[in-house]
Amino acid sequence: MSTANQQEFINRIKLALGKPFSASRQKADLFSREMSAETRAILERIKNRTADDRKKLLETLIEAAGPIHLTVRTCLDINAVTDAITEVVRNKDPEWGDKKRVVAWQHPLIESLNLPDALSEQGVPVFFSDVNAPGGETLRQRIIDSYIGITTADFCMADTATLVMRTRPGQARTISLVPAIHIAVVELNRIIADLKELYALLKWDPLESKEGVTNCMTFISGPSKTADIEATMVHGAHGPREVYIFAITAE
Amino acid sequence: MTKITTENYVTEARKAIKNQVLQRALADLQNRFGRGTAECYRRLPEGPGLRLKAHEVRMQTVENLDVVLETLAANIRKNGGQVFFAEDGQAAVNYCLEVAQRHKVSRVVKGKSMVSEEIGLNDALIDSGIDVSETDLGEYIIQLAGETPSHIIAPAIHKTRDDVGSLFAEKLDIPYETDPPRLTWIARKALREKFLAADMGTSGCNIACAETGHITTVSNEGNIRMSTTLPRVHIAIMGMERVAARLEDHDMLLRLLCRGAAAQNMATYVSYIGGPRCAHQADGPQEFHLVVLDNGRSRILADEQFREMLCCIRCAACLNVCPVYAKIGGHSYGYAYSGPVGAVVTPLLVGINRAKDLCLGETLCGACQDICPVNINLPRMLLALRTKLAEGDTAWGVTPADRKEKLFFQAWSWMIRNRGLYDLAVKLAATGQKLLAPKDGMIRRLPPPIHGWTKARDIKPLAAQSFISRWKKGTK
Repeated sequence: MSTANQQEFINRIKLALGKPFSASRQKADLFSREMSAETRAILERIKNRTADDRKKLLETLIEAAGPIHLTVRTCLDINAVTDAITEVVRNKDPEWGDKKRVVAWQHPLIESLNLPDALSEQGVPVFFSDVNAPGGETLRQRIIDSYIGITTADFCMADTATLVMRTRPGQARTISLVPAIHIAVVELNRIIADLKELYALLKWDPLESKEGVTNCMTFISGPSKTADIEATMVHGAHGPREVYIFAITAE
Repeated sequence: MTKITTENYVTEARKAIKNQVLQRALADLQNRFGRGTAECYRRLPEGPGLRLKAHEVRMQTVENLDVVLETLAANIRKNGGQVFFAEDGQAAVNYCLEVAQRHKVSRVVKGKSMVSEEIGLNDALIDSGIDVSETDLGEYIIQLAGETPSHIIAPAIHKTRDDVGSLFAEKLDIPYETDPPRLTWIARKALREKFLAADMGTSGCNIACAETGHITTVSNEGNIRMSTTLPRVHIAIMGMERVAARLEDHDMLLRLLCRGAAAQNMATYVSYIGGPRCAHQADGPQEFHLVVLDNGRSRILADEQFREMLCCIRCAACLNVCPVYAKIGGHSYGYAYSGPVGAVVTPLLVGINRAKDLCLGETLCGACQDICPVNINLPRMLLALRTKLAEGDTAWGVTPADRKEKLFFQAWSWMIRNRGLYDLAVKLAATGQKLLAPKDGMIRRLPPPIHGWTKARDIKPLAAQSFISRWKKGTK
């Protein structure tokens, strides 16, 4: 699009602010170039977090999850997660249509659950959002046809019970959105305290900042909800009606 | 363009006050959100003082908006997104129509966005033959009913479950029901079809972040995620001021926004969108467009008296505590923005004379500033607008709203500076008021030209003796 248009727009702002059009581009403290002492302390704290600290964060997470109708279950290990998912699949009925189908992220942690085997007993197929799967439309249709979507999360913020997911090949965004039930499997070391910690990691941690926010990062705090009819709270407005976090406590 | 009906403020307000259903809904809304939000601020780790810090940060951003916006645009382009700077509503609408035509769009799903109400995007898309669906449940109800939203975040609060039940029965051809969970499910089903079939999604932007190059959208229903993930094309429209420079600023603003808007620590969904889907990504739009809108904002920016208004993040917290909004509801304000924020921003956007009743109608009680997540001094700006209406203002093209009022006050000011004249006037008034037949110790109606004062209230008569004369006589 025309940058002349943009220049005119920006010049109008400069005029409004009483700045000459040639004003220097940067005000020194507008964008931080160096890590603040506070951020340094936050990163230190995250780095030195012990298993006990993380268990405390998990408790905070569980407390925050209650009021927003988010179900958090602690699982000792991978096998316990597989069992827990199998149980959800057995107990819940599909919202649209009558066939039970599950769709999951292509991610080492999710693949290690061996869901296709575990769910074959019930005759429930599991699809993965495979990068190499043929055709985008097929995958889209599979996600639409599934009633449970399984993902993990990049982080989980304890104080607001928020799942943080960045977009990557193999990890379709709609898996946490279109199916009626969303299950997120989270390892204990993915739990952080709050938004401040998340931003510190995304901006300043050498490893995390390389990937940064990505072109689409999503926060999910519990099931979709609305109170638009006479202020009555209803869960399941457009997104999932139920959200589960299965937290793996094994080190 | 969107309809502006600010001239009907007084008649609309009268109607609203008589509407018992609306009165109950407004009272209920304020009870829940007003108090909840204040409590939320108290529980912030930084304490309610974070609001003051946020104000500083917002002002700093607004005062460097040129640099911040250029940074935002450059970073979004780096991610493969397209950025368009629109001088006014028409330019923004034209751009959206162009994109829609280029992609042969026939169905649009829309996430709630006040700025698209401001520029009348829906009507423009519909006029060009495109099927547009509102997707926020409240907005969907309003669209089916052919009305406009009455609250920034609770657009359908003026509708009862019975209203919604009959509306759905009529428009969606289903049996009449009144159970909110059932009604919500019916809308869920109808809108799921719309989401899956849509070619283009539109959204607003709650707070963009310049240094990372993202817009963020916030919702509880998930409709904005649907609208911005499923269709091939996503257009986001943002008022040019809705941006934070750094992630650190974004952190405090996002937390304050959720608290101000719905007394939540975090909304159910927050999406950071920086560009279209990348190679090998399974989903997300193939094109992402950001429209940055001026539409009169640079004029507000240029006036140091009103620049502060651009700190606003449109959370609607002020609506939830305003005693005037509590009685007259959102429709009286006659434009996309209602409540105290509307009372200041609407006159500045559509014309101060045209929307004069909005700023004259507020009480100056200051509740709006106390609840504002970024501590905007709305009462100060309401007064500044009133000054312009009293004195006239060439820069804003304001003609004095009432010349008689000005003359009256000039005469008053002259009189009170002349002791003898003042005493005489008081004596005359004390005698003359007997003709007005006070009832229960109050005068019900003053004679013209000052009858306006008693249109909606009584006035106490002057005492039989003035304080000065009692003082002189030594009576107690």
